[in-house]
Amino acid sequence: MYQLLRKLAHWIDARAGVSATLWPMMRHPVPRSIDGPMGWWYVFGSASMTFLLIQILTGIGLSMVYVPAADQAYESLLYLDYQQPWGWFLRSLHYYAGSGMVVMLLVHMTQVFLQGSYKYPRELTWVVGVLLLACTMGMFFTGQILRWDTDAYWGLAVGASMAGRVPVLGPEIVHTLLGGDIIGASSLSRFFALHVFIIPGALLTFLGIHLWLVLRCGISAPPKPGEIVDPKTYDATYHEELKRGVPFFGDALLKDIFFSALAVTIVVVIAAVVGPKGPTEPPDPTLAGANPRPEWPFLWLFGLLSLSPPAIETFIMLVFPVLVLGALFFVPFVSNRGERAPSRRPAAVLLVIVIYTTLGVLTYEGVQAPWSPVMDAWSGDPVPVNLVEGRTPLELQGAAVFQFKNCRNCHALEGIGGRRGPDLTTIGASLTRDQLITQISNGTPGGGNMPAYGKQMSPAEMEATVAFLISLRPDGQLPAGAVEDAPVEGTTPQPVELTE
Amino acid sequence: MNAPLPSSGKQLCPGGKPPRRAFFRLLTGALGAAATGLLTLPMLGYFFGRRHRPAMWVPMGDLSDFPLNETRTINFDNPLRQPWDGMTSMTGVHVRYQGKNDAGDEQFLVLAANCAHLGCPVSWFPQSGLFMCPCHGGVYYENGERASGPPPRGLFHCVWRVKEGKLEIEAPHYPTLHDTLTESLES
Amino acid sequence: MVACAAFVGCNDDFPGKPNPADRPLPQNEITDFATLFAQNCTGCHGADGELGPAPPLNDPLFLALIPDETLHAVIRDGRPGTPMPAFAAERGGTLSTEQVKIIAAGLKSHWPADKTEEVSDAAIVADAPPYLSSATILQLTPGATDQASTLFERACAECHSPNGAGGETGYASGGAINDRAFLALISDQALRRIIITGRHDLGMPNYAAPDGRPEDFKPLTSAEIDELVALLASWRRGDAAAGDAGK
Repeated sequence: MYQLLRKLAHWIDARAGVSATLWPMMRHPVPRSIDGPMGWWYVFGSASMTFLLIQILTGIGLSMVYVPAADQAYESLLYLDYQQPWGWFLRSLHYYAGSGMVVMLLVHMTQVFLQGSYKYPRELTWVVGVLLLACTMGMFFTGQILRWDTDAYWGLAVGASMAGRVPVLGPEIVHTLLGGDIIGASSLSRFFALHVFIIPGALLTFLGIHLWLVLRCGISAPPKPGEIVDPKTYDATYHEELKRGVPFFGDALLKDIFFSALAVTIVVVIAAVVGPKGPTEPPDPTLAGANPRPEWPFLWLFGLLSLSPPAIETFIMLVFPVLVLGALFFVPFVSNRGERAPSRRPAAVLLVIVIYTTLGVLTYEGVQAPWSPVMDAWSGDPVPVNLVEGRTPLELQGAAVFQFKNCRNCHALEGIGGRRGPDLTTIGASLTRDQLITQISNGTPGGGNMPAYGKQMSPAEMEATVAFLISLRPDGQLPAGAVEDAPVEGTTPQPVELTE
Repeated sequence: MNAPLPSSGKQLCPGGKPPRRAFFRLLTGALGAAATGLLTLPMLGYFFGRRHRPAMWVPMGDLSDFPLNETRTINFDNPLRQPWDGMTSMTGVHVRYQGKNDAGDEQFLVLAANCAHLGCPVSWFPQSGLFMCPCHGGVYYENGERASGPPPRGLFHCVWRVKEGKLEIEAPHYPTLHDTLTESLES
Repeated sequence: MVACAAFVGCNDDFPGKPNPADRPLPQNEITDFATLFAQNCTGCHGADGELGPAPPLNDPLFLALIPDETLHAVIRDGRPGTPMPAFAAERGGTLSTEQVKIIAAGLKSHWPADKTEEVSDAAIVADAPPYLSSATILQLTPGATDQASTLFERACAECHSPNGAGGETGYASGGAINDRAFLALISDQALRRIIITGRHDLGMPNYAAPDGRPEDFKPLTSAEIDELVALLASWRRGDAAAGDAGK
């Protein structure tokens, strides 16, 4: 039996030439120091690839049940979650392995950047790597759309609106993106094609090129301070180094396998414990209470967009991503020689710190989303009890008007409520009656963040609301603008004479 | 390769019969171009073409359903749908009856629910007379004009008409900044 | 091998396995009273239906008195002249007909009965004036104004001072109720309700409670409450009498 199999293998090998071509590739030498502890820096790329493999497996599995039709997609997701054995786990794993792939890609890229591995002669490897990152982000966005729920619908709406801002061609792009006049079945089918055929096709092609380039240019040796990359001498030096090298398919690969196995274990555990993401409410655009949020790799962009002034918004939507991608492309052409060791490249280290800090802060803002009004705060967030007790009838009625006029959707009381505008818990101590009336009536001058309520409120409503707001002061503190020696009785704020 | 044609022809055919090979190369090029064109044009048409349909009108309800100066949210199944759109084709608009104009014609304001900023669904708050958007906090007045926040303009207006005592609107496509629902009216 | 087969089978009970009960419901399909109440009512009426700026709903006297149809109509159509908005979708609100019914029915049964202890006994409920006034027009004749003022002095002045201007004479500060902005934001029916039920959460006595009232105080009758409401309404209009009272 064993002999027979051997014979078969030889027969195939004689024709396919596997041992003649692939084997040398697998055994290609890598610098000796990668076999040492420094080799742990080299495991992230292969971990990304392992996650990609999981994505392909789970993706194929999901495609056997999921229906990419607008009227049935949601139902098939529910079926996967609740009926299909292990369906929930596959959905969960597909999400967390995808997230893991993004994380590993970023770590891999950061490592390559910090250790200067992108320099001569590996510029093209880096450029293709950037394309791989772009494809992976594209997979994340299109994947979110396939989770055909409320968030998916509105995520697509936001994407279409951004594309619609392109001058002249905008409407055509939107129409092509949606596959019709409205967001619907054709849109979902398009994103299915993107997620399952187009982007994976591109991704695998780029991955093939990336791997070929890694083989062709060789794996860079761990950087040593003072070792300068010079295109004139590098090839010869590297060649010399490889002569003392170790085969890739050997102990060097062991670290990759170990790390990938660890990463897979972690992701599987997360998937089993946390469970699949969504689907949220069904994709009915007339449902009240929609609150779309982008997936985590895009939260920083959500934050950036929301924090930027409206005047430069279109620029950030349309030009900024191109600039970011362009900047990444140009990295190896800006500096393709010189020092590689991070200790000798403070600018690169600083850049990485600044970029990740910025991304972190923007992502945090994106999670918090203080710019988003809380749509049901006016009816669902109670007025704190200590802001109710001890109020006069007028102030109480003012508090009710405050809720009723939806002020709470943007203004928190004691931290609860919207955070688009300032928290008003102690507003009575900082704004006078006249200032309050002006602010409420006119809103933010020049059409800023606060709408003008002048026409939206009757004089009595204004009177009551302002009375309530003036009563919002820390114990014993005078209203803003009040004379210092005016009598202050008791510990609770006293009614202010408002009716002359 | 890129060697000039005549010289290579001469090298291959010292007898001096280059025109045949040259002609065949030309023919291959031309046929290749024709085949590519024949293949590409329908593909482009398929991917980027627009299906033109006559305007479709959707009934919103009897005129009496709309009290003066009050905003009602009307949900309907958009006829621009595909048969397998499911609930996705449901569309909401905000309808406000504004009384009669000087000529005695009924005046309506029909606003698309999509925020002019990035398309999120605005909600109507009758108490404060404002539309608010949950995404980035765009706010509009009851007449659809921008009140505050990031939107670059007011809400999109739908085309409406009154026919046989009923309010109808033209089935709205997904409105964006350069592709509003009433280009002619708003520009 | 057997264990493996069992594993592949349907034994996938991990913490991450989604529970159909946790499925997010579309807003218009929520039928749980507590959820609907929390989302739609607590903003003004308080987290547990009391201690909000608007009158308490967690008030056995109020819930016993208000007719079912009235409660349902108030939620559906709002209370004109007050900040209580219409909640039914067909009236510009956000709730379905069904959801309005659930809230109306749920209010009457939600709070457990032992709360009635706060209203000292069932007699108070039994003897209470009807929720809705039988009088159609509340208008005070000049002569009646004095009578109403006297009544106001007995029933309300301890906390709200004789002219309704508020003050700290009693054990609790009631605050001004002759304020025209305040009166413009509360309807006659809402005033009647508050006079009958008081605000147990903020210390305002109900129609019968003797707290802060003269020793010979008798529970207010429906007609007397009409008189008081009419007096407040005259202050709202800024009648001459109100001007006097306001000084």
